[in-house]
Amino acid sequence: MVEKLPRSSKLYDQILRCNHCGFCQGACPLFKVTRRNALNARGKMILLQDMLDGRQEVCNGLIETLFQCTLCGGCENQCPAGVNVPEIVKAVRRDMVDIGTCHPIFENMNQILDEHANIYSIDERETFGRKVNAKADFVYFVGCVGQYREEEAVEATLDILDYLDVDYTLIEEGCCSGVLEDVGFSMHDNLVQRNLSLIRDTGARTIITGCPYCMRTFKNKEQYKPLRDAGIEVMHVSQFFKHFDFKIETDLKVTYHDPCDLGRHCGIYEEPRQTIRKIAPNFAEMLNHHAEALCCGAGGGVRGAYAQNSVAMARYRLQQAENIGVDVLLTECNSCVHNLSNAKVRRQKFEIYTTSQFVRLLLEADGLVISHETS
Amino acid sequence: MDPSIVDFLKDTVGEDNVSSELIDLISHSADASVFRHRPDLVVYATTTEQVSAILKMVHEERIPLTPRGAGTNVSGEAVPIRGGIVLDLSRMDRILEISLEDRVVVVQPGVIYADLNNLLAPRGFVFPPDPASGIAATIGGNVATNAGGVRASKYGVTQDYVRGLKVVLPGGKVMRTGGRTMKSSSGFNLTQLFVGSEGTLGVITEIILKIKPKTTETCTAMATFAQLVDAGRAVSQIMLAGAIPSVLEIVEKNCIRAINQNTTLNLPEVEAILLTETDGFVKEEALFQMNKIIEIFQENGAMEVKWAESEEEAEALWKARKSAYAVISRLNNTTFGEDITVPLSKVPDMLCVLEEVGAKYNLIFPTVGHMGDGNLHPHFSYNRTNPDEVTRVKKAERELYQKAIKLGGTLTGEHGIGLAKAPFMCLEHDPAAMATMRSLKKVFDPHNILNPGKMDLEICNG
Repeated sequence: MVEKLPRSSKLYDQILRCNHCGFCQGACPLFKVTRRNALNARGKMILLQDMLDGRQEVCNGLIETLFQCTLCGGCENQCPAGVNVPEIVKAVRRDMVDIGTCHPIFENMNQILDEHANIYSIDERETFGRKVNAKADFVYFVGCVGQYREEEAVEATLDILDYLDVDYTLIEEGCCSGVLEDVGFSMHDNLVQRNLSLIRDTGARTIITGCPYCMRTFKNKEQYKPLRDAGIEVMHVSQFFKHFDFKIETDLKVTYHDPCDLGRHCGIYEEPRQTIRKIAPNFAEMLNHHAEALCCGAGGGVRGAYAQNSVAMARYRLQQAENIGVDVLLTECNSCVHNLSNAKVRRQKFEIYTTSQFVRLLLEADGLVISHETS
Repeated sequence: MDPSIVDFLKDTVGEDNVSSELIDLISHSADASVFRHRPDLVVYATTTEQVSAILKMVHEERIPLTPRGAGTNVSGEAVPIRGGIVLDLSRMDRILEISLEDRVVVVQPGVIYADLNNLLAPRGFVFPPDPASGIAATIGGNVATNAGGVRASKYGVTQDYVRGLKVVLPGGKVMRTGGRTMKSSSGFNLTQLFVGSEGTLGVITEIILKIKPKTTETCTAMATFAQLVDAGRAVSQIMLAGAIPSVLEIVEKNCIRAINQNTTLNLPEVEAILLTETDGFVKEEALFQMNKIIEIFQENGAMEVKWAESEEEAEALWKARKSAYAVISRLNNTTFGEDITVPLSKVPDMLCVLEEVGAKYNLIFPTVGHMGDGNLHPHFSYNRTNPDEVTRVKKAERELYQKAIKLGGTLTGEHGIGLAKAPFMCLEHDPAAMATMRSLKKVFDPHNILNPGKMDLEICNG
């Protein structure tokens, strides 16, 4: 079995360290909405122990758990033994893909990125009326979800960058393709090279991303090391905006949803809150926040492959916002905004925005006309 | 399993609540212990009526059935060692009533401990037992194992809060025990018979729990001791003086060393650290108790006494204790915490026993413990792929139990017997007590279908 699962085997000691205490159940969004042991981290680790110890053959029956995980890292945060579940799940997915046991949705995603530059297989590009592939100090990297699903959120961010007079350019970006490694495949070199070259050509020293996942990919993946070698800084838009005082304030009660990719995976908790607290003094935390925040349910390919559970996780999170009676739920990830907005039910009267969207609304309410004029 | 039985179960609980899928069988094959056995079927029940129908059927068909909550139990209670059905009650998770006037809550067994207290906290109330696994553990499991926690010396354990139960018996009869009164002298105390019964007598489907107003003020302090005996004497003096700590925890040298080797906490390398908390509804109350305790620490050779002046300082002091389990869990690929409990005055003796037995078998037991109630958690941390180490661990375990019993102690303070301690039941309980327990098992479950193989209710191995 070990030969069949080379990547998982490398993590054997980690996998053995799961002593099944089950504390992870308290942090797993998928367990909270399904109450199904098999889908929680412990269920996965028991299964992997059986697989690596030769008690269980790899078969299609295992796909439902091993390919159903948002990789949010809530379990790892809760785990007394420090088992890095997301890394283990990614490793076993790659092993399973190599064996030919994979969720068809992810095979499809891999194929789409063979043929197209984004996960939605849309070939027309949205330029948001901004300059593209120009020389500039900053590159604003939009990301697939922003580009094709949450255009308003992107528009708002770009409006604020304009308002702040930031010298930025967009590029004819391709998917950062990091997501492929999450779902059992390899990143696509053509997409990586395309992004690297376009970024270099702008002469920018800093990339601002709207998507926390793209930021992680640029900052951590070996394939994007040339960026680091060239001294190009990568930051999330929330880190950029924290330096500014927008001189706006609202009485509305506001809460903040920590995106897993920004919070647990990058340790960025306070920067978004710094901005939000300045503009919304009536700020309240949900029951689970910071490292204990619950995932919106979109990550790890779950939104595409297991939509029903993905929506259920988003609803669970929205219920936490409803419980504290907020007017606005803010977050810093287009994917979270997308999933949470899709899951909101009619009785939930609060609004869901990215911080940029909310800042723009308040600036507009203040009488400022900041909408970009398409040139 | 016979397809007609699977059909019956699907008709009873719905298609989505019955699974023979591999991933469900595997994930229900283990709990937080080292034991493992796959069931043939996993069934999720959501009502008492469903549980009743299932228990009638398994009674007639003689199918083993193991009830399960969150499976955070550490002694193998939820492992279906004879196969059959695992009855997962985690979807039976409604809080049916919160009555502050009666000071009770009525809950289904699958309610998660933390969820209940998250709901009670804004109302100023608490269900206090506070097991370490509270973020995931279910109330049903708390009752079935008589779970405790760090505040047990002042606030007791689960049994002190269970006022009444609804239980389904093998054969399907539904029985109500106790009620929502604060006291009752009426008949046998059947409620308490089910507390700690580990699912061997019936399936609990509703629980009436007493709740308490939540204290709002705390004081926290830490004392270090160069000699274990001094720490032990300080604890005895606290008891003698009638002081009431809400928490009194020990972290001993092996544990301190492990923490220092694996964290940046840089704790003083002493024989023992005692951590204590007092509480009350006004600060004076907590201070009054803490002053008494600090005085006793100083009179009994404490090297250093630190009193937390703020919440942040209290949190910093707690880090030593709170990091212990995480540190110990990372030392090796297998960790399990023992749960020996001895009379309060015998805690220092038990700590010496740990030293002796550890030396004899070349093992180290990083230990934390609830000194306020004599409950020690020496941890076995070992490599389970090394047969020699496994043998030494097994021998040391038996010897620890023997010595704890000799000191007037018990095998388990709050974890339960399950499979792990079943072979040692006869060390603690005399033949008459064992015979009574086995007779009771027979009365409730004549065909031995409910969680069979646990608690040594079948044959004596002692």
